[in-house]
Amino acid sequence: MEKQKLAMLVAALALGGAALAPARAAEGPVKIGVPAPLTGSYASAGTDIANAAMIAAEDINKKSGVLGRKIAIDTADDQCDAQIGVQAAEKLVQSGDQAIAGGYCSSAAIPESSVFHDHGLPFVADASTNPRLTEQGFADVFRVIGRDDEQGPFAANFMKNELHAKRVAIIHDNTVYARGLAEQTRAALKKLGGVDIVYFDAITPGQSDYTSVLSVVKSDNPDVIYYTGYYSEAALIVKEARALGVKATLMAGDANNDPTLLKVAGPAANGLIITTAPLAQFLGGSEVQNFIKEYQSRFGHEPGPYSVYEYDAIGVTAAAMDRAKSTDPQKVAAALHQTKDYHGITGTISFNQQGDRENAVYITLIVKNDQFTAYKALENGHWVDVKAASKAKAG
Amino acid sequence: MSLFLQLLFNGLTVGSFYALTALGYTMIYGIIRLINFAHGDLLMVGAFIGWTLLTTVAIQHIPIAAAIAVALLLSMAATGILGLVVDRFAYEPLLRGSRLSILITALGVSLALENGVQLGYGAGFKAYPHLLPSVYLPVGGASLGVTQIGIFALSLALMLGLYLFVHRTAIGTAMRALALDQDAARLMGIDVEGVIRLTFFIGSALAAAAGVMMGLYYSEISFTMGFLLGIRAFTAAVIGGIGNIPGAMVGGMVIGLLEAFTAGYFSSRWSDVAVFGALILMLMFRPRGIFGERVVERM
Repeated sequence: MEKQKLAMLVAALALGGAALAPARAAEGPVKIGVPAPLTGSYASAGTDIANAAMIAAEDINKKSGVLGRKIAIDTADDQCDAQIGVQAAEKLVQSGDQAIAGGYCSSAAIPESSVFHDHGLPFVADASTNPRLTEQGFADVFRVIGRDDEQGPFAANFMKNELHAKRVAIIHDNTVYARGLAEQTRAALKKLGGVDIVYFDAITPGQSDYTSVLSVVKSDNPDVIYYTGYYSEAALIVKEARALGVKATLMAGDANNDPTLLKVAGPAANGLIITTAPLAQFLGGSEVQNFIKEYQSRFGHEPGPYSVYEYDAIGVTAAAMDRAKSTDPQKVAAALHQTKDYHGITGTISFNQQGDRENAVYITLIVKNDQFTAYKALENGHWVDVKAASKAKAG
Repeated sequence: MSLFLQLLFNGLTVGSFYALTALGYTMIYGIIRLINFAHGDLLMVGAFIGWTLLTTVAIQHIPIAAAIAVALLLSMAATGILGLVVDRFAYEPLLRGSRLSILITALGVSLALENGVQLGYGAGFKAYPHLLPSVYLPVGGASLGVTQIGIFALSLALMLGLYLFVHRTAIGTAMRALALDQDAARLMGIDVEGVIRLTFFIGSALAAAAGVMMGLYYSEISFTMGFLLGIRAFTAAVIGGIGNIPGAMVGGMVIGLLEAFTAGYFSSRWSDVAVFGALILMLMFRPRGIFGERVVERM
């Protein structure tokens, strides 16, 4: 308790110092701010995002930069925390960034978005999927990823029509993202009908032992357990559920396609199904392959799930600056709204009126032989293997 | 009924970790009246040392049981020495100073340890290798892991060992004398600083044992794992009667069970409320804790 106060005091002092520094003039490189959880439980996802931003900036700089200027990436650690996120956002604003592209947890990204909005900076989110982000009436917030009110119904459809589940347990962690996805899934299941939601509650993130909650879930006898929180807890939940002898199909939301989950859960992870936007390795095209190669040679491991989306978030922002022929935040935001069929590595990107990506795609992954493998996708209302789906598209 | 049994097993397992950690708090409080906020972080350091040892190549070529024993003992020794060093350089110069300055120093040590490990190991969490057998016995409709029994037994053995050490040996007698009256103990020829250092060594080594066991059991460790755990273990020590060794054991189990049953019969969102609510009630109606009647006799 005392420690938190102390940390806040230190942060407040640091912030005060930052406020005294004069905002940088609009010459030199174009600065794009990247808030992400660089420390804390979700640091591996955050570091991936920051790394991907770096590669995106270098790729653009290698060509001709933006408006003849280089792009510089300015990262800030938000620890997936609302309070620290706001401080991180203030720091990015104070250091004179012209646009923001990043974020990971919705619980940090949403408060950050209002700081950016207050200072008129455009914000392109790469990973925050909570619907509220783009529903605050801000004309300068965008996202290159789908929304939970698309993912929830997708997951519900999969449970009912592919797994033929009768009893479903939904567990979230009370964070904005996890709660949102859990509620969207519950609503979609109710709408589909014929599925009982036997358990719906939150765990406390940051603990090591979730066996007690899982014992209750087990006694409710579900066919499917859907965890909508993040991978650090999901790994433990998967491991502990199997240890308890839970036979249900385990599913998790799109914050869980992280390789670290497999290391912690070990063999227990096999059979886990994840609803997600397609990962880098399941996306076609030579640009993605080049990105993966570049990332691996630079950082010595595979890019995490959201790195490709961050790459596109930077790309979309740079393209908007080029079209606006200016780095003036308001002009850039206006140009971002005009984004139509931008050719990104995650596919073509167009923003709708609200700033959401049109036609965002979801797929399911399954863990097989300790690896994430592409599983099923929804094509014209039918569940098909992902490989077949992409072939059908190509043909 | 099977749910009740399951929650009981879960609660005792988690309680074992709290109890082992609470022992360190209670020993140090008993002897120098310091709430050592860095204690949970010493547990974290122990877990990381164990991880480093278990993931190095040299140790992977010996039998699993031997590897675990080596990692556990080396981590306990190294963390024990770290605790001793912390005491020597951070707390000892302040022993005669105000209680507040030493408390703030403990907070500083806690932050230094957390951020030091973050710098050294990176911010993400680390996965322990899966070494323990995942054998589960069906008991009355619940499942009881062989490792859970092992954790409970090992914690109990360590606690019993500590109790006997404090009550049956000369050094243990010196510790208790010091807890009663530091100046009188010094006049009796007891090496006060030496005994305090030894107390830090033992407390930190026990925390390291808990840390390595947590790593092996849950397979997930992070540099922040000590903070919340430390606060709960401290609560356990207060509920049991701070300064009292059997109290720390009982307090740890009480907290573990309270958490498990709240999560099981209400909602895990309420488990913090239950734990800290119990602390408040205890402080209101029985501020010396369950075992805290004999105020004079600490430890």
